[in-house]
Amino acid sequence: MKNIRRTAALTAAATLALTACAPGGGGDESAEGDGPIKVGVIADLTGATGDVGTPYNEGMLGYVKWRNADGGIDGRDIEAISKDYAYDVPTAERLYKEYVNEGVVAIQGWGTGDSEALMNKVTADELPFMSASYAEVLTDPEEAPYNFVVAPTYSDQMRVALNWIAEDAGGPADVAMLHNDSPFGLAPLQDGQDWIGEQSLDLTMNAYPMPAGAPNFVGLLSKAKSQGAKYVVIQNVSSPAAQVAKDIKAQGLDMKIVCLNWCSDELFVETAGDAAEGHVLVQPFAPSSADADGHADIEEFLEGEGSSLEEKGVHYVQGWYTMHMMAEGIAKALEDGDLSGPAIKDALEDMGAIDTGGVVGTGEVEFSADSHRGQTGTGVYVVEGGTMKQLDAGVTPE
Amino acid sequence: MAATATGIYHRSYQREMALRHTRAEYLRLALLVTALLATPYVLDRYWLSIVNTILIAVIGAVGLNILVGFTGQISLGQGGFLAVGAFTSALLYERAALPMPVSVLCAVLLTAGAGALFGLPALRLKGLYLAIATLASQEIIVFIARRWTFLRDGSAPLSVERLHIGGYQITREYFEFQWYWVLLGCAVLAVLGARNLFRSGLGRAFMAVRDQDIAASAIGVNVTRAKVTAFAVSSGFVGLAGALSAHYTETVTWESFTLEVSILYLAMIIVGGLGSIAGACYGAVFMMLVPVLLNESIGAVGDSLPFLSGRLPAIENAVFGLVIILFLLLEPRGLDRIWQRMKDYLRFWPFRY
Repeated sequence: MKNIRRTAALTAAATLALTACAPGGGGDESAEGDGPIKVGVIADLTGATGDVGTPYNEGMLGYVKWRNADGGIDGRDIEAISKDYAYDVPTAERLYKEYVNEGVVAIQGWGTGDSEALMNKVTADELPFMSASYAEVLTDPEEAPYNFVVAPTYSDQMRVALNWIAEDAGGPADVAMLHNDSPFGLAPLQDGQDWIGEQSLDLTMNAYPMPAGAPNFVGLLSKAKSQGAKYVVIQNVSSPAAQVAKDIKAQGLDMKIVCLNWCSDELFVETAGDAAEGHVLVQPFAPSSADADGHADIEEFLEGEGSSLEEKGVHYVQGWYTMHMMAEGIAKALEDGDLSGPAIKDALEDMGAIDTGGVVGTGEVEFSADSHRGQTGTGVYVVEGGTMKQLDAGVTPE
Repeated sequence: MAATATGIYHRSYQREMALRHTRAEYLRLALLVTALLATPYVLDRYWLSIVNTILIAVIGAVGLNILVGFTGQISLGQGGFLAVGAFTSALLYERAALPMPVSVLCAVLLTAGAGALFGLPALRLKGLYLAIATLASQEIIVFIARRWTFLRDGSAPLSVERLHIGGYQITREYFEFQWYWVLLGCAVLAVLGARNLFRSGLGRAFMAVRDQDIAASAIGVNVTRAKVTAFAVSSGFVGLAGALSAHYTETVTWESFTLEVSILYLAMIIVGGLGSIAGACYGAVFMMLVPVLLNESIGAVGDSLPFLSGRLPAIENAVFGLVIILFLLLEPRGLDRIWQRMKDYLRFWPFRY
């Protein structure tokens, strides 16, 4: 017993002594000097959302290549360190730490789950973070001071979708909301329900989680049918959404799909084929079928690469402009003479509206110290003859 | 467990009960302690963060091995129990403002209780049937974590404030360094606790149940109690790992506790060695390092072979599966057994045994 006590006392003393003399923590060394500016990219290329994650990531890397060829930021290259995390949160956390250790000045993330999981980390580490997740919580500087959302949030898209449905129905209507069974899928649900109440829209909305990897959604659709749903809002990626469209056609159901942005793309239209006709897509980023001035640089760059915007699709544009916003923030911070995380955050908040040539929502993206919601407007499209035909541009939820 | 190698004789009962018998074992302990003390001064922040996640995994793997390796009750519910520990501790720390040691202790106790509850089917079920029953516990717990809005901060996931114990606050600059000592302390306690558990009557009852439950009850082991206690004790360790991971990652979402996590932990103890505390540690280190080292090595050759770096997660999965199959085929008793064979080879040389 005496022995144990002595050992315990010794251990405690040793531990105290050791923790007292901590080694020097690494700083943000790479932020200074003339070397390349490092940006960490957490990408989903092979995971559950890899179908849309791949073109998004290509868009980011394409932008970096284009910008570097154009002289980079103030003569310095952007070095994008991009790794696949396969939509797995622990892997994203590991990659994040790796990037921090490499001295990145900002992070480009991907999904809602990992963006939310890293929210506190980026706040503590003071690293600006943009992602392809447009969850409402990420726009609030009180909650997430280092997160920036470039596009209208899922909730705003949902509000636009519900407004459109109410107008299209012209009377009472039943809406089935089919969503990915994850934080991403659930993000706009509550806000949508609240919106129906606030705006006293004559809609009834029921939510149905879509099981991952399901071969078809006939079961869900038959539940939606017994609810009397005429409209199906989908918050999921393109492949499962296209399956829903096929199932609706195969079952001969009278339902109209309204996709939020992650299934509003060429992939949905192509995969569903005939079954996609007549369905409605809410997409804040202008696809190649909608002419926007902001497409010119991308098209020129892709032509040089032997590809085209039609081939790459709308998510390429999305990745391109998300990286553009980050690069503009970094450029402003460099101009002000400080490339630290807080400086980039301030730069993003102060740099004013950035014109995207009509690509994002109503055309300009602007952050402020009170709001990290870059845009509220979105385009609405209908599938006609196998392309996305614009119904409305820059619709904001009102 | 208690058996020692040929050629080692004991002159007193106390010596026989000792954890270590030979000089070489004491030397190894000294080397290990030195290495552990030196680690945070040698590694940079990234590698230290990997070591920290390994330390958490060690605690979880030791816990799972108590149940699977020592008591012979299969469990696919590891991820769920980690979630119970993580959410409990995070909620008590954030909403009830309890100090971290208290919230962690409560998490351990509650997870132990949950483990005992979900372990009840083990009284009637064995083998594959029990595996499915524990799979259900995994799915139920994760389902609750998904749907219960109480477990979220409004629309954001549950966040945990940076750790402070009394006046001691983890700082940003020394985050990994300070956490290393906290986690190392917990891991050492867990390993020592588990190691000593199997020198007690309760631990021996666990092993008797594993080897032959009817024979165990014939010699007076209360099989019912042993099984439920094994679930509780094992889950307690797992709850500790979950609680620590909540405070360490500072965010708790159900996405970190999926079925894949349960399988990863099973893989750890299979690779490390079922029924061995040291094996659980080896397995945790090995399985946590595989993706990291793969990432590093593919990163090193990535520029010449872009084909590989684009498929990293797929390769990771393939290697993961391959490692498990190779271990099951070549050394089902895992890394621990390989280490013992190496020792025996040296000890008995030039004879084979």
